[in-house]
Amino acid sequence: MDEPALIQTAQRGDLDSFNTLILHYQDMVFHTALRILGDEDQAADAAQEAFISAFRSISTFRGGSFKAWLMRTVTNACYDELRRQKRRPTTPLEPDTEDGEEMDSPRWLADPNMTPAQQSEADELEHAIQHCLDALPTEFRTVVVLADIQGMDYSEVATASHVPLGTIKSRLARARLRLRECLRGFEELLPSSFRLEEERTS
Amino acid sequence: MKNFRDIEQLSAYLDGQLSPSESARLESRISSDPELASAFNDIRAARGILRKLPARKAPRNFTLTRQMVGLKPPLPRSYSFFRFSTAFATVLLTLTFAANTVMPRISFNAAASVAQEAYNLGSGGGGPEVASEALAAATEAPAATEAPAMDMAAIPTAEALPTFSADTTALELPTAKEPLPESAPQDQARVKSEAVIPVIWQIILLALGLVSGLMMFLLRRSAAQKWK
Repeated sequence: MDEPALIQTAQRGDLDSFNTLILHYQDMVFHTALRILGDEDQAADAAQEAFISAFRSISTFRGGSFKAWLMRTVTNACYDELRRQKRRPTTPLEPDTEDGEEMDSPRWLADPNMTPAQQSEADELEHAIQHCLDALPTEFRTVVVLADIQGMDYSEVATASHVPLGTIKSRLARARLRLRECLRGFEELLPSSFRLEEERTS
Repeated sequence: MKNFRDIEQLSAYLDGQLSPSESARLESRISSDPELASAFNDIRAARGILRKLPARKAPRNFTLTRQMVGLKPPLPRSYSFFRFSTAFATVLLTLTFAANTVMPRISFNAAASVAQEAYNLGSGGGGPEVASEALAAATEAPAATEAPAMDMAAIPTAEALPTFSADTTALELPTAKEPLPESAPQDQARVKSEAVIPVIWQIILLALGLVSGLMMFLLRRSAAQKWK
């Protein structure tokens, strides 16, 4: 795939060229949106919105990493989706007391351990990781998804997440630390290599 | 737990973001400080787990259609010419209708106000007769001078007459009515036959607008068919 040539023709309004770029990047875009949003349907919507937005604004691409530029539209679409969710919050299911009244402060909300339902859902490592990612603040989650899941370098992450390069370093460190703390609860699900390292150092 | 500065250094070290000297210093600290080594392994484990997360494939293709991005077929250059001529003809046609409708009324109102002023001035000395003469002069003068502008002044007599004659009746000016019935029918007939903008121009403009509009439609349709 001759990416620069495709970008150039897409900038002249050629949709077929842009669709070729979409086919190349769509898995990465969807996966990024999925890890930021934690929901497949929302991630698919965000990915579609991101591609539409990217085509409309491709004339603003002035060279550099196209992947980083594209990821910027993806993070924008994800932030829009998260803002929509905030405007339309879902009513949490709160457990009832024996009298049939809702508990004002359910015990399981204060408990850091997951409910049995959540625990069974997190049986797979992927679910566990997503659970821990969801627990991160959005800006930390975005940075760690771009750097560690997509393997982007610091300058690409800075472009894609609208964050200065200097901030990336500290956000990434905090996000990794929090993730490690969270993943301790899923030690049995972790690949043996990671557990062995843990044991070796202890 | 190490301080956050150390955690940040460890994280950057894993990403190869430290200088060789910083890396060497940190490596020696890791080997001599078990707590720092443990933190290093924690950060490395978190990073490694995320990097080993299997990539998920897109559930469908996200390729775009022209409708999704609001793309329209490219139109030929002549399209903008026809668009301009349609707009030009429409604006001019509207103006001709406006000119033919409004201009005579404005002229008549001006003449009527002159007559009214004459009446007001004359009411002190010459009495109502002076005013009625002025009014008659205002309406009949065009016929004598054949001036086009004054012709227009006479035009709306038929329409404006009721109001005007009502005023004159209220003022008890029977003489003011006398000259009007003679001049008004003639002037009215002249108004109908002599519009400010000739009808032929209106027909030409209408034809231009319709032809240009039709050309725009045809060009757009042919461009859409070619695009498909």
